[in-house]
Amino acid sequence: MLRTFRGGLLIGLAVAIAVAAGAITYERYDTKTLKRTLKRGEVLCGVNKGLPGFSIPDDKGDWTGFDVDFCRAVAAAIFDDPKKTKFVPLDANERFKELQSRKVDILSRNSTWSMSREVNYDLYFPAVAYYDGEGFMLPASRKIDSALDLNDSKVCVQEGTTTLLNVADYFRANNMKYTEMKFPKLEDVVKAYNEGKCDTLTADVSQLYALRLNLSKPNDHTILPDVISKEPLAPVVRQRDDDWMMIVKWTLYAMINAEELGITSKNIDEALKSKKPDVMRLVGTEGAYGEDLGLTKDWAARIIRHVGNYGEIYDRNVGAESKLKIPRGLNSLWSNGGIQYAPPIR
Amino acid sequence: MTKFRHLIWMLVATGGLFLSASQGNAQTRQPDVGDQPGLIADDSVELDPQWRKTAVLYRTNEAPGTIIVVTAERHLYLVQGNGRALRYGIGVGREGFTWQGLVNITQKKEWPDWTPPPEMIQRQPYLPRFMAGGPGNPLGARAMYLGTTVYRIHGTNRPDTIGTAVSSGCFRLVNADVADLYERVPVGTKVIIRQKPEL
Repeated sequence: MLRTFRGGLLIGLAVAIAVAAGAITYERYDTKTLKRTLKRGEVLCGVNKGLPGFSIPDDKGDWTGFDVDFCRAVAAAIFDDPKKTKFVPLDANERFKELQSRKVDILSRNSTWSMSREVNYDLYFPAVAYYDGEGFMLPASRKIDSALDLNDSKVCVQEGTTTLLNVADYFRANNMKYTEMKFPKLEDVVKAYNEGKCDTLTADVSQLYALRLNLSKPNDHTILPDVISKEPLAPVVRQRDDDWMMIVKWTLYAMINAEELGITSKNIDEALKSKKPDVMRLVGTEGAYGEDLGLTKDWAARIIRHVGNYGEIYDRNVGAESKLKIPRGLNSLWSNGGIQYAPPIR
Repeated sequence: MTKFRHLIWMLVATGGLFLSASQGNAQTRQPDVGDQPGLIADDSVELDPQWRKTAVLYRTNEAPGTIIVVTAERHLYLVQGNGRALRYGIGVGREGFTWQGLVNITQKKEWPDWTPPPEMIQRQPYLPRFMAGGPGNPLGARAMYLGTTVYRIHGTNRPDTIGTAVSSGCFRLVNADVADLYERVPVGTKVIIRQKPEL
């Protein structure tokens, strides 16, 4: 009698543990992002509250920017409509939590991909959207075009950032001396530089171009092509929802492949008539690659038509056609001086 | 009957003359046509930043000193090694006047004379048969001959055409840039010309 009771208790306990474990797994791992997005009818996208070139709302609440366009591309792939997006502005310190708690489907918010973020937060960075890194700005009158000529410089830098450490590493590695001029606030760093208190200012390259716009004479300052650190900016999704991760990853790769193949938002109709196998596979006139993703055959054609290829998105938001005018640099295609490279669609 | 036939031919000829003349006029008036012999270059024209000479990051396996012309983006790169290059803004061949391949610089000339090739004269009959080098010459301050082709990397008297596709296949830089490039590259320099991929 006692034995059966004990057995029953054991079974009951086992069931309880199994249920609890199930609940915990359910809590931790979400595998239904695409399903929920389809049901909701829009992609929820976590973005920066206001970073010129990357994500910024206008006075009517319309968002523009590189990170914003990436979310629009995902929406275009899923809904054939880039407007089926809702942008959720997030702070730097709340962004990963909000993604984990399913407040957003994607984080597209100038976030650096690093090992600890991916491992500790149970997140996944599917592919690098923008290769940023630390660089140097200096007066054009100095006629320097390499960071290796910066020996004996006074360097303006923000305190308490990795920027500071990178400078130290770079100068030591290249046997150069420098004087650190550090300030707690970025605006003070800029002010000191503008007042001529230092020879050069260091920050991430994308930031330097934005800061330069606000100087009294932007054209009198150059930004060196050297990039001395790795800041790979990538979209972020939750781990273990592979179907969703694949959509996000291949949306980016479709845009990069489109640029490499010469397909743009302007010639997409021509591309749909192409007889070149690699073009046909991308735009969906051969094979059913989009269906394997849970989307339609023309998923990539939708992205290119509504949002454009990688180069178009870059140029419009941060490149030659934008205010920032950041050269493509590392973000050029691998075949044209950069390292942007997408695996083939086949 | 013979008289009548003559008359017809004369009419056709006059018509043709009128047609070519008006075409010539229309083309020189059009702001986007790149050849304007006689115009003195306005060297004070400020280029858009994307067309100005800039040191850029550029990774390549090509040896330093190699020129890479990327026509789709209207840039000419002079490889510097160490992952960087000097980038110049250029004007390139219009639709139908694009080409790609590997050539060498076979000749260099300062303030080159201009003898438009016969096929160019045929297309644009209003062009002079010969024009001595100088500030009004469409080839500008310097020319570098590409292989055995009729194409050159040259200067221009139309700095406003940098960044556009209007030429007959040549690559044009503003005079200051072409003079700068000229000093940096010897005869024999390897030149790679890349086109955008075809659909």
